[in-house]
Amino acid sequence: MKNQVRTLRTQRSLAQGQLADAMGVSRQTINSIENERYTPSLPLAMALARYFGVTVEEMFDDQGP
Amino acid sequence: MIKDRSEALMRSKWFMPVFCLTLGVVVLAAGWLGGQLGVGLFGLVVMAAFGLVILLLTRHNETIRGLTTGRDERFAQIDLKATAVAGSVLILTVIVAWLVEVARGHSGQPYDWLGAIGGLAYVAAIALFRWRG
Repeated sequence: MKNQVRTLRTQRSLAQGQLADAMGVSRQTINSIENERYTPSLPLAMALARYFGVTVEEMFDDQGP
Repeated sequence: MIKDRSEALMRSKWFMPVFCLTLGVVVLAAGWLGGQLGVGLFGLVVMAAFGLVILLLTRHNETIRGLTTGRDERFAQIDLKATAVAGSVLILTVIVAWLVEVARGHSGQPYDWLGAIGGLAYVAAIALFRWRG
């Protein structure tokens, strides 16, 4: 699923590992989300959105091509 | 509380190596009981070596880490899919083996009851998970 995780993370100069630690997941999971290979669970999607101060809809796009 | 404790235990880097070693000791005991001490010792060595490899590679390999300390939701999903694939392969193998045995004029033992257990476990799991929502 298309998402803004990489954009928001790099805007804050965060490494994937730092975001992973904050979310309690592995760095590979953050990498997979950013590369649209893995769609996070609703709790993780909400935690990510809360962490970056955006809504889930702003962070994830399920209407994309 | 108990769930947290058991999860913490399973996330310990020692859990899988100790589990492997314990399984090796069980194999050794089974071999000894069956009068095949050599087979039991071989099983113990293989399981101990496997546990040691897991312990040494936990830090460096995501797959191994996922089996031990680093199981997050993505790896839990991978684990679920891998278990489903392994289960499907196993059930298919049992069915094919049963058919081969029957075609050879044998009773189909022990594949008939193994297949029955697999089928019943699947139906029971469907019913349980449906009931739990």
